[in-house]
Amino acid sequence: MAELLEQRESLALMHQMGINSGAIDRRKQIVGLTQADVARIATVRDLVLRRIDDYAAAFFQHLAKFEEARPLLQNPALLERAKRLKIEHLHGLVSGDYDTRYVEQRIELGLVYAAAGLDNRAFLGAFLSLIKHIGADIMQHADHSPIDAFEAFMSLQKVAFFDIGLIVDVLVAQRERVIRQQQEAIRELSTPVLQLRDRLLLLPIIGVIDTYRARLITENLLESIRANRARMVVMDITGVATIDSRVANHILQTVTAARLMGAKVIVTGISAPVAQSLVSLGIELGGLDTVNDLQGGIEFAERSLGYTVLQGQPIDAPLNGVS
Amino acid sequence: MSDEIRVPIEREEDVVIARQKGRELAAATGFSMTDRTLIALAISEIARNIISYAHRGEVTICRVDDGLRVGVLIVAEDEGPGIADIELAMRDGYSTAKSLGVGLPGTKRIMDEFELTSVVGKGTTVRMKRWLR
Amino acid sequence: MSVPILKQGDVLIASIQSALSDQDLIELREDFADKIGRFRARGVVIDVTALDVLDSFATRTLRGIAYVGRLRGATTVVVGIQPEVAFAMVQLGLALDGIETALDLEEGIAYLNRTARRSPGYVR
Repeated sequence: MAELLEQRESLALMHQMGINSGAIDRRKQIVGLTQADVARIATVRDLVLRRIDDYAAAFFQHLAKFEEARPLLQNPALLERAKRLKIEHLHGLVSGDYDTRYVEQRIELGLVYAAAGLDNRAFLGAFLSLIKHIGADIMQHADHSPIDAFEAFMSLQKVAFFDIGLIVDVLVAQRERVIRQQQEAIRELSTPVLQLRDRLLLLPIIGVIDTYRARLITENLLESIRANRARMVVMDITGVATIDSRVANHILQTVTAARLMGAKVIVTGISAPVAQSLVSLGIELGGLDTVNDLQGGIEFAERSLGYTVLQGQPIDAPLNGVS
Repeated sequence: MSDEIRVPIEREEDVVIARQKGRELAAATGFSMTDRTLIALAISEIARNIISYAHRGEVTICRVDDGLRVGVLIVAEDEGPGIADIELAMRDGYSTAKSLGVGLPGTKRIMDEFELTSVVGKGTTVRMKRWLR
Repeated sequence: MSVPILKQGDVLIASIQSALSDQDLIELREDFADKIGRFRARGVVIDVTALDVLDSFATRTLRGIAYVGRLRGATTVVVGIQPEVAFAMVQLGLALDGIETALDLEEGIAYLNRTARRSPGYVR
């Protein structure tokens, strides 16, 4: 059952990476793998299969020397699978059949390495070690002329490079996926809309605003306006990294969209240098209500909504807990 | 190509039909509410242009797949008078008496890909795509 | 399919239920022009909650209604623009310049009452 799920994962990744039969042929072309190579590999097949366990062991022994491989070696479940798949790999390496099924198995092994967080360099080092072992044996037991043996080994190397291409692509694809997920999480965390008072929302914006994030912020704000029946929004941009014409445009669009829903947006936190750079960029911020600082903006919004804030005597009363 | 919908545009009621169909296909393709509205709006604008200028034409909506992403393709064709100065028509703020106005440049902005070909006296074709992120 | 215009005090209200044809929108504008004068309305509320898209034509018509209203001394408020519709309009570059907007019917009427109190000639 677990195997079935794993297979589906590798198939899904293959599809995502665009590895169809056309792409596989292309990869073979790139390493120069031909029928002649397949024929040569057949001549050393039995030799390799005889010592298959030793070669697999060599791979993992090499990994054991490096800290970078520790995550894999210290994970019994993953290590077990990796060892099993490695034996399978070596069988496949000399099989002469390097099509979809073979590629799928490579991807599956790649996913195990990715799951274990195996470092690319450690993988390459271990793989090289394994190939060197095979090469040494091939040369030592050369029944035919050494040149034939050498050529058989070189043919095997082509498949090895084919394999490396696949494994590394899987490791990279998985890493990129993690990065995307992290970015997504950061984005979600960083667009909060707070209700300050009845009908009054506060939207502090921090960081870099790209088109994607600007859209998230706008959608979030508009939804909040609807849910809270807000009439006023104080949008503070003190924490916005750079304000160029594109960002200014995003801000203007957000303000206009909010206005269409009956909410007035007051932008606070435009510092003097930012104001000057916007002017020099020729950006029209006319029609945008701005107040220098956040407090001023909130007070203005409160007054517009009819709130009067009075300060009386301070009261020292406990909230929860012990005073 | 599967999932292809053709809507003849002859009366302004057809504008509404075209954008409803577009919205449905967008929903089936997995677009968010916001994206569906953008797609419906884009269809509305170009379908209206057909009515205003060519009086008759056709809008085709279909799902597209380039192996990496999925999206929708919208093609609006007519055999109307054509647009003499395309560059001018695509400029923001440009507006004729019947107001091409916001329509074309705005539509180009909200779609990911936008292609307009027009030959005076023969007709106009707009091809636009929006991809699922 | 015409849109009924209701009267509430000196405010006229129209709720647009579904996608209107261009002809319906034009008729609505003419209907407003007529009724604003007849009932001496000082406010107009157009509820577009049910519209899933506001394109350039609809926007022009709303501007037309507001213009006609203004000529006859009435303030127009458009209410009920949904988040996705607002977003799409802004992306396309459509603007409802010169027209007030509010979240919904309740807010729209509250706005008209607030501004009425401030305008000259208002008799309590």
